[in-house]
Amino acid sequence: MGASLLDAVLAETLDPAYAQAAEAKAARGGPARPRWRGRLLVALTMAIAGVLAAVTYDQAADTSQGRQEVRAALVRDIQRESEVSDELTTQLAELRAEVSSTRDEVLAASAVGQDALDDLERAEESAAAVPVTGPGLLVTLANADPTADADPVGGATEEDPRGRVADGDLQLVVNSLWAAGAEAVSINGQRLGPTTAIRFAGEAVLVDFRPVTNPYEVSAIGDPDTLASRFLTSPEVGALAAISELYDLRFDYSEEDELRLPAANTPELRLARPEGDS
Amino acid sequence: MIPILGLAAGVLLGLLFDPTVPLWLQPYLPIAVVAALDAVFGGFRARLDGIFDAKVFVISFVSNVVVAALIVFLGDQLGVGAQLSTAVVVVLGIRIFGNAAAIRRHVFRA
Repeated sequence: MGASLLDAVLAETLDPAYAQAAEAKAARGGPARPRWRGRLLVALTMAIAGVLAAVTYDQAADTSQGRQEVRAALVRDIQRESEVSDELTTQLAELRAEVSSTRDEVLAASAVGQDALDDLERAEESAAAVPVTGPGLLVTLANADPTADADPVGGATEEDPRGRVADGDLQLVVNSLWAAGAEAVSINGQRLGPTTAIRFAGEAVLVDFRPVTNPYEVSAIGDPDTLASRFLTSPEVGALAAISELYDLRFDYSEEDELRLPAANTPELRLARPEGDS
Repeated sequence: MIPILGLAAGVLLGLLFDPTVPLWLQPYLPIAVVAALDAVFGGFRARLDGIFDAKVFVISFVSNVVVAALIVFLGDQLGVGAQLSTAVVVVLGIRIFGNAAAIRRHVFRA
């Protein structure tokens, strides 16, 4: 059945009506109708076919053009809004600086205020709300290089997922650094605050919900020698070093005289209490 | 010669005047064009075969276009519009291909 249907479709490409009409004409013996009428009709039909094709072409072209226009408009919108957002961020930074300088001025005027200011400074330091500079340890973690024996012609260097730095590795390094006495830690210039999370999203490592990319440079501020000796003797780091060796991960450290760590994102204000209340 | 002139005139008219097509008709235009193409190729082949007939050509053209659009419309109403469009395009495409091959045999004797 299926084959015969296909055969019919393939064999009968010409409308059988033509053959029938030709037979009928032959039986009648020559065309009875005036020939110009038929020609006019055919020309008219062909004109209709032309209009149809042209209009459809126009329509299709319009549709794709419209899509491009919408896309361009959206891109423009995004650019404009991100400019606005950048501007607001700068404004916010300026205002924050103004607020804190005014606050410092006012507080510095009295002894109680001075105490409060010292408290605040300590709190800000431990909350990673201020940028810090100092000597420390720079630990570098990087994905394994794509295998050298990969097919040079195809060029498709397939990465071994085990050769990638995972969020767990970074967490381990950071925790070991904290345990070794680091005063402040940042990953690729992203300062870690008390509530900062290091996690995976797809293939990217997120620090404080912002993606950081390979290679990962973990900077820790503290006394370089103490940091290095405590960091390297911790058993977790030993295990990580063994794993890195096994899967060709890069795992280096160096003692630095001066590291600059930016401020972390100021955490949202979650709890406020009127003075005198307890 | 006259049919080709008619086709050219039609294309020019369509491009110059750019008539607006009502929205409900737009989905059926591509199918209608494929159906029209089938009728035109059929007519051309019949002419080369020496059995061309104006009445058959006009009727086959109109009915082809209308039926193709109607099938797709019906499919849309039943929720199988895309599949029926594919079916129509496949069948008409095979016919166009077959007729084009016949025309080629006439023109190049190969």
